[in-house]
Amino acid sequence: MPGGIDFLVLGLSHKTAPLDVRERLASPPEQIGEALQAFARLDSVREVALLSTCNRVEVYLASPDPDAAIAALRRHLAERAGISEVDIAQHLYARVDVDAVHHLFRVAASLDSLVIGEPQILGQVKQAHDTAMAERTAGAVLGACFSGAFRIARRIRRETDIARNPVSISSVSIEFARKIFDGFEGRVVLIVGAGKMADLAARALRGHGARILVTNRTPARAEELAARIGGEAHPFDDLTGALVKADIVIASTGARRPVLTRALIEAAQKKRRGRLLFLIDIAVPRDVEPEAAEISNVFLADIDDLQKLADEHRDGRRGQADRAEAMVEQEVARFLEAFRGRRVGPTITALRDRVIELARAEAERTVAGISGLGDREKRAMFELADAIAKKLLHRPQVALKKGGGDPVDGASLLSAVQRLFDLEVPEGGAGLGAGSGTSSDAPGDAEDRGVPSEDSTSADRSSGKAASS
Amino acid sequence: MATLTAVEILAYALASALFLGHLLTARPSATRVARACLLAAFLLQLVDIGLRCLAGQNPVSSTPEAVGFVGFLIAGGFLLAGVRYRLSTAGAFAVPASLTLLVLARVVPAEPGAPRMGALGLTHVFLATIGVAVFAFAAVLAALYLREERRLRQKRFDRLADEAPLATLDRLGLRCIAVGFPVFTLALVTGAVWIARLGGLSASEARRPEYLIAVLAWSAFGVLLLARFGAGWRGRRAAWLTLGGFAGLVGVLLLYVLRSLS
Repeated sequence: MPGGIDFLVLGLSHKTAPLDVRERLASPPEQIGEALQAFARLDSVREVALLSTCNRVEVYLASPDPDAAIAALRRHLAERAGISEVDIAQHLYARVDVDAVHHLFRVAASLDSLVIGEPQILGQVKQAHDTAMAERTAGAVLGACFSGAFRIARRIRRETDIARNPVSISSVSIEFARKIFDGFEGRVVLIVGAGKMADLAARALRGHGARILVTNRTPARAEELAARIGGEAHPFDDLTGALVKADIVIASTGARRPVLTRALIEAAQKKRRGRLLFLIDIAVPRDVEPEAAEISNVFLADIDDLQKLADEHRDGRRGQADRAEAMVEQEVARFLEAFRGRRVGPTITALRDRVIELARAEAERTVAGISGLGDREKRAMFELADAIAKKLLHRPQVALKKGGGDPVDGASLLSAVQRLFDLEVPEGGAGLGAGSGTSSDAPGDAEDRGVPSEDSTSADRSSGKAASS
Repeated sequence: MATLTAVEILAYALASALFLGHLLTARPSATRVARACLLAAFLLQLVDIGLRCLAGQNPVSSTPEAVGFVGFLIAGGFLLAGVRYRLSTAGAFAVPASLTLLVLARVVPAEPGAPRMGALGLTHVFLATIGVAVFAFAAVLAALYLREERRLRQKRFDRLADEAPLATLDRLGLRCIAVGFPVFTLALVTGAVWIARLGGLSASEARRPEYLIAVLAWSAFGVLLLARFGAGWRGRRAAWLTLGGFAGLVGVLLLYVLRSLS
């Protein structure tokens, strides 16, 4: 789209690149600023933001020359990753304009995620934009596109059930516990063993105010895990004592035979005076005797139960995804419409001014060249010039307002008119993103900026890690 | 007054349908409408009760009036509890109960030759009414507890996304019983004294089952409180005992109503 600024994305994701390639390109948060500055120095790059998560590395750009920008960026990325340009090219995808907007909207709405509907991505997209703002590499184009993305992502979360049910083992466990206990403030979580998954769930629960007890056959390992997640170690010999204190037990030992037998739990349950007890058994082979589930007020979920719930929820999300996709389509169209609307007005005004001005100038010259004309005749000449100009303008105006068959068509029509009549439209080119120098009038902008994501609580972040990493 | 009653019953029926619909579809938006509808029904009944009072039929002047009043208290308790707790599913139990009691109260004619009850009789009916309403609410919570517990044991919880957790249901249920028990105890005592003042029971009256059932239900709740505070009974067993006690009370009320019909 000559003469305008285009919005584009170049990147790779879990769909196009294996983990080892993604690892090479991923930037840890503290390096994103430096990376952005390097991108910004590249040829034809006006604005740039970097989204780097464990599942995707994507560079969002505003550029007057997409082809040049993509080529420069591809070369630069290959250098950064230490891979040849040919090798990296097979994993990279590039999208321009409508397609790029569509892509960003889908990513923010978690429709392109490994686990569809996972809530972390929206926060990560926000973070990417905030960092680019802080580094002063983002401007009006990126601002408008990202704001649109936040809006559709929020709308989808609100209006569909896509993110309603958790899909990772640790978040399913926590959701399960929520059905039993009224909050985790002051609850005691006992970790038996030292599995990674237990770590994740325990951290999340601690974030909600739970107290953590850790017990392990090897005291040193209990101490170590307790120190790492901010809990207390408890002697393994006194498992009953630990059970009496606990409300939630997460078992993940490597033991061959069940560590938590029915008899043990029954004995503890007597001392606990029948308080509700939730046993989460994520060990294979199992740590809790299945018969323990028969004890009154004791609830047991093993890894299969949790996995099954997670899978069911995942299937449910896929169903919702179709609805969400349709909403994205709708929102992209609306977004471009709004954009074009903002661009068409000034162009039409400039076109009118230009044509009427020309006609009047010609009329004046003609009138000046003819001697002996009365006021009436002179006025008639000017009126004639105006009338011809307005008749001429009518069709182009209607066409511009209608905007061609689709947004891209409309944008190129706009661009053509500007070039044919050599129009100076205040904010420059005709591309999608050539907005007005500031981003404050971008749709929904003020509302989005700096508002912390509802997904970015520490608990969510850690509980969702299993899903998104 | 007949029109008011009809509209009132209609509003309760609509609210019941909406809450039951919510139970089946688990659409969060449905509960807002259901709640609004119930509030309307509740206010209509408030007006209805006020008008009846002016006409000399206060809520404790006869068994049917008291039965209707129990329904009114259940609806009010549910609306109030809903302000603090997520109890939308409880609506599917509580609101139909209110509806049934209201219909029962309006269909059954007040005893024509009811004895003048005096202050003691009025106190008895009043306390018993409050006690039954509070126990009814405890029973709703117990039913909900058992339902959710079963679902959790079957590892199904997706559709109940906005429901109160088991611990809340259990705690609220206990609170209801702790409040209801002393009230109901006083109701029994005043009832006994009242009957004694009237000259005691005849031999045939003494064999009436409702007195025995009332005492049994009262004992069930008493045992429940003792077991809860003494032996840490809670959860499923407490829920079943609550339901058992309440079933007894329903039996007593039914017998009263049947007797006033015959």
